[in-house]
Amino acid sequence: MSDRNVTLKLENVSKVFAKVESDEVTHALHNVSTTMESGEFISLVGPSGCGKSTILRLVAGLITPTLGKVTVNDVEVDGPHPQRGMVFQKPTLFPWLTVEKNIGFSLDMQGTLKGNEDKVARMLKVIGLEKFKDDYPAQLSGGMAQRVALVRSLINEPEILLLDEPLGALDAFTRMNMQDEILSIWAERKQLALMVTHDVDEAIYMGSRVIVMDANPGRIIADIKIDEPFPRDRSSASFVEYRNDILNKLHFGGKHTD
Amino acid sequence: MADDLQLNANSEPSMAQLENLTRRQLKELEEKEKTPTQKVIEFIVMILPIVCGFIAVAEYLIIPDKGMNKNPMYYIYVLAIFMAAYVIAGIFAFVRKSAGNKIFYEKLHYRAPLFAALFLFLAVYDYLTLKTGILTQPFIPCMNFIINAFVKEYPMLIDCTINTLKLLFIGYGIGVSLGLVTGITCGYSKKVRYWIDPIIKFLGPIPTSTWIPITMVIATSLFMGAVFIIALGSWFAVTVASITGISNVDKDFFEAAKTLGASKRQLVFRVAIPHAMPSILQGCTQAMSSSCVALMIAEMLGVKSGLGWYMTWQTGWASYDKVFAALFVICLIFTLVTKVLERIKRYVLRWQNGGEK
Repeated sequence: MSDRNVTLKLENVSKVFAKVESDEVTHALHNVSTTMESGEFISLVGPSGCGKSTILRLVAGLITPTLGKVTVNDVEVDGPHPQRGMVFQKPTLFPWLTVEKNIGFSLDMQGTLKGNEDKVARMLKVIGLEKFKDDYPAQLSGGMAQRVALVRSLINEPEILLLDEPLGALDAFTRMNMQDEILSIWAERKQLALMVTHDVDEAIYMGSRVIVMDANPGRIIADIKIDEPFPRDRSSASFVEYRNDILNKLHFGGKHTD
Repeated sequence: MADDLQLNANSEPSMAQLENLTRRQLKELEEKEKTPTQKVIEFIVMILPIVCGFIAVAEYLIIPDKGMNKNPMYYIYVLAIFMAAYVIAGIFAFVRKSAGNKIFYEKLHYRAPLFAALFLFLAVYDYLTLKTGILTQPFIPCMNFIINAFVKEYPMLIDCTINTLKLLFIGYGIGVSLGLVTGITCGYSKKVRYWIDPIIKFLGPIPTSTWIPITMVIATSLFMGAVFIIALGSWFAVTVASITGISNVDKDFFEAAKTLGASKRQLVFRVAIPHAMPSILQGCTQAMSSSCVALMIAEMLGVKSGLGWYMTWQTGWASYDKVFAALFVICLIFTLVTKVLERIKRYVLRWQNGGEK
């Protein structure tokens, strides 16, 4: 199953949200089309309100498009599925379950936890938290909690891994460590990974492809392939060039003047 | 571990000892050596309850009684038992302390002034009632009378206690179970809530005791009527708490669970209910206290059994010693029930206390 290639397509997707207080609506996504394949690590970057999280939630099946469709291998997405695992900005670990039970949650829900305890143990080993398996989430640090959340989604060996600013709430050093950890986990199975971030450096450092988005209405303004081998050097000339290019497209570049 | 402690106390700790230090050991390590005065004070505090116990005994035996006191002096026996219990606990504490385990000693030391105050209170109370009658007799009976009432009446008291507990638990049990069902369905399903909400809004503000006179007339038996009253109060408290708990579940948890493959049913039973547990248990505790109130009122007004009924009945006979005896039993029962609930709550919600394992 892990070798199965998936093609994720967004075909002319628009998503409109109703505002809470007024009768107006927000155009979170406007006529977005793109195709993504297994083996890609795609960074979605852009200012807030550009609809990058909306894309993730559409793919996850948590919301449905107003217009257009989202398909995985030509089958339309209708509702969440553990094959499309998602990691949120908040770890959202269930506070009443131990670390071990949080990781096994998904298997438990599908009734396959019995006989698969070794999978849980392996996941604990991947993130090096074997010692904490009987602890409750309240006892974990932010970085540890996010690691647990990551393997909690990975235990299903999802074809598509959705990362919604997973490192947004972490301090700079933990963040850099976890970028490498996520990359090495991804490198093992090369599933399709889709990560939202508003850190341009992070997008370039981790992505094999960076999709740049802008707001009002939410749309894709650039789709850049990053042709650099991993691990990447944040200070290399080409890295800086990519960064300038993206920042210019978002009108934040130093060279950009009207 | 005891050896480590001795070392820490006697000499400067080495760096190696700082590894694998427990929180207790750290506290003892950083504590200052006690001065001789402090040691003396500590010792006095420890024996204070015994001293006060003897004061209470002497007060009873030496000062002459004002009124008639033909009862056997069970009061002195009870005092003696208390004092003996404290002495045994004290010896145990010192043995444990010299073996390096200070926890029990510290607990006892912490409580000692309270025990001393209790003995003093008993002495003062006895003086104000039996010895001088400053507190009006026979409405406020002395402790010896109350204890004698216990001894004479205990089969009756046990019987009443059983009846009271039966009523309490049947009513509470029915109320809580129904409350959980309605609360959880309402919390999760907007349609059910649409129909139940007006009922709660209408019944909610009415204190349960208000129903007693009506129920006592309508109900087929007084017992069933009382069960209904108690159940109604508990039902209401648990329903409201469960609705609040479940509708406050963070939507992120549902989304995470959905992407992890949880079905609708699992979202309710594996996410919503555990998340709402603190609120639900809070409701259960509240339901218990409202049940206790309703229970006592019901027993005093109509039901022909139980401790509440016993108290009213004995008041009619002006046997205030027996009334007080029943009062003590009620106090004991409610304390125990609350304690047990608290324990259950602590166990179920053990994930809430961050550091504790």
